[in-house]
Amino acid sequence: MALRIPQNSPPHVAVRVLWVVATVAFVLYVPTRTNTGTIVDMTLALQLAIAAMALNLVMGFGGIISLGHSAFFGLGGYTTAVLVDHYGWSQGWTLPVAVAIGFVVGCATSLPALRLKGVYLALVTLGLAVLFPQLVKWQKAEWLTDGARGINDIGYDDVPTWRFLNVDILPEGRIGGWTFLEELRRGDGRAVFMWWLSLLVLALSYLVCRGIVKSRVGRSLVAIRDNEVAAAVMGVNRSRTKTLVFGVSAAMCAVAGSLFSVSGNLASPELRNFTLVGSITFLLIMVFGGAATLWGPIVGAVVYVFVENKTREAGADSGGVLGFLFGWMSSSPASFILAVLLLIMMFVAPFGIVGLLKRLAAYFVVVVPSAAGTGTNLPEIDEGEAPAIDEPFLPTTTGDTP
Amino acid sequence: MDRFFEALFIGLSSGAIYSLVALGIVVVFRGSGHLNFAQGEMATLSAYVASVAAAWTLPIVHWDVPMWGAAIVAMVFGFLVSAATEILIVRPLGKRSPLAVFVALIAVFLGINALDAGLWGAPPSEVVTSLFPNAPTDFAEVFGTVWRYKDIGTLVVTIVITALLFLLFAKTKIGLAMRAVASNTESGKLVGIPTGLVLAGSWGLAGALAAVAGTMFAGAQGNPGQVTPILMFTVFVYASAAATLGGLDSPIGAVVAGLSIGVVENQAAEWAPGWIGQEMKLSVALACIFVVLLVRPSGLFGTVKVERV
Repeated sequence: MALRIPQNSPPHVAVRVLWVVATVAFVLYVPTRTNTGTIVDMTLALQLAIAAMALNLVMGFGGIISLGHSAFFGLGGYTTAVLVDHYGWSQGWTLPVAVAIGFVVGCATSLPALRLKGVYLALVTLGLAVLFPQLVKWQKAEWLTDGARGINDIGYDDVPTWRFLNVDILPEGRIGGWTFLEELRRGDGRAVFMWWLSLLVLALSYLVCRGIVKSRVGRSLVAIRDNEVAAAVMGVNRSRTKTLVFGVSAAMCAVAGSLFSVSGNLASPELRNFTLVGSITFLLIMVFGGAATLWGPIVGAVVYVFVENKTREAGADSGGVLGFLFGWMSSSPASFILAVLLLIMMFVAPFGIVGLLKRLAAYFVVVVPSAAGTGTNLPEIDEGEAPAIDEPFLPTTTGDTP
Repeated sequence: MDRFFEALFIGLSSGAIYSLVALGIVVVFRGSGHLNFAQGEMATLSAYVASVAAAWTLPIVHWDVPMWGAAIVAMVFGFLVSAATEILIVRPLGKRSPLAVFVALIAVFLGINALDAGLWGAPPSEVVTSLFPNAPTDFAEVFGTVWRYKDIGTLVVTIVITALLFLLFAKTKIGLAMRAVASNTESGKLVGIPTGLVLAGSWGLAGALAAVAGTMFAGAQGNPGQVTPILMFTVFVYASAAATLGGLDSPIGAVVAGLSIGVVENQAAEWAPGWIGQEMKLSVALACIFVVLLVRPSGLFGTVKVERV
């Protein structure tokens, strides 16, 4: 028997506050209590989360299959790299440029998305992902991209300083002469700065996603996904919705790529995340966390980076369960383990970790939405019915209500 | 003119490999409506199996396994693995949603790739000798250009396989059952066709095609040719381009498109070495399908799907 609590009642607010507190605790824990290596890894997780969120917008909510998001990711990375290295821009100012370029290119590439369906679209976007590294290596583009060598020296040389009201604000947790969190200085200053910068962009991306999903555009998008013809008949402007969402998604992916290249201090066609592997990674993160949920990509990215780190070095030499299971592999078993996990996931929990948690939580707590009007006619809920686990991949919910 | 014929011939022989892999994609798509993302990896895995089988000596009689024998072993292996993929992964997930199958096949792609790298990865030591004479002197001169036997062999094998597939689809009971399942699974079931068996068979057939393509392609890489985990990746991209260009449900479209892509990219690389050259060949192929799909969203030979609302 699930406990039923009305929406916005004290218990419901308490649950939401708990959720926020847990998030804030994690956000503060990473840069203050862990070492530089973990901060760098978790920063990568944030950047991958932004990219997966972008993919989720198109694929999870929109049902538009895209394998080409690594190209947008790479586009952002190269925008930053070229502007910083060739034109001497400061790193932070290249992010808006990456957003703008990503949006324009995304809108342009969404033109085939308007005409093609399902598998054909998957193949064309696959082409996009394969094409991007080739174009970067093209000898006619070498003056811009430095060809196969790639561009390095794009990270911050020093921790950037911001002056606000004549006070220096340093990301090391010092305002002016006052150090408000001594522990913030434990990690490398630049790594901590990248953490906060990525977090800021992630928060903005989350708000954009939430805004889109809960708005008219988002409802149009879900309607198109569930039944395109019916949506068109109901007056949804298909091409405008798809173009807009694809553009926003590409822009988000591009800014994630910018952050990625600044953190990694490198933009190169050989980077895994700039090739098709990147697209597959974003897809994996989206599915792990939960497609068509707002929190899915974030949870998925953290889990992905965690699993990847734990298994990367596992092999014959490392003892333990992983060494025993994967000792026969002469290379790192990380991608094999991820592939097997993804496959198991598709069978056990096709709606991802967040979707699974939501369904489990629904056994215990049901939030009853407050009814419109007088508030006396609460909707009838059959109490004996447990939530069905066997829902199709990509549930039709439009967002989370944590 | 020499340059034209040389590029034409090289284009045809590389296009033959694309056609074989594309045929596998098409056979699967016609049968079950899914895009087999793992087709290229299946070919790589089969090429590895062929190299292992060729290196094996039969016990007791101490006979070395000939290359064609190894190729047959690889084909049987490809058939079984591909059919197993259909039965164990695609069929149960297909009941849920096509997108779930798509993601699962990407997982299979990733898994096979990692498996290859894990089993035979570093340092790469598996080799496959060519199925055809491949000594430096094994070539014929036609129109003053060199036509190597291995390239002629690849082309001939592709044409023969296409002909056999045509006969299978057009003239046999099995082919008829496959066409029935492709056109309407429910009705097929009602007239007593074991649809599950037919679907597994279609996937198996695609796996066997992948094995042929993988073994031939690996053998053509050198003398003997090296098998690497990324052996078939570019080929798969070309093949998927060919399958898309030809229309995903048309076998003849896959072959025509595969050969055309091979010819067009090699001619382009030959005549515009500064702008395109060897590095940008793939871009030409992808640009071609991009343009064609904008004009004909179902490919050149594909059936235009009309949905009833």
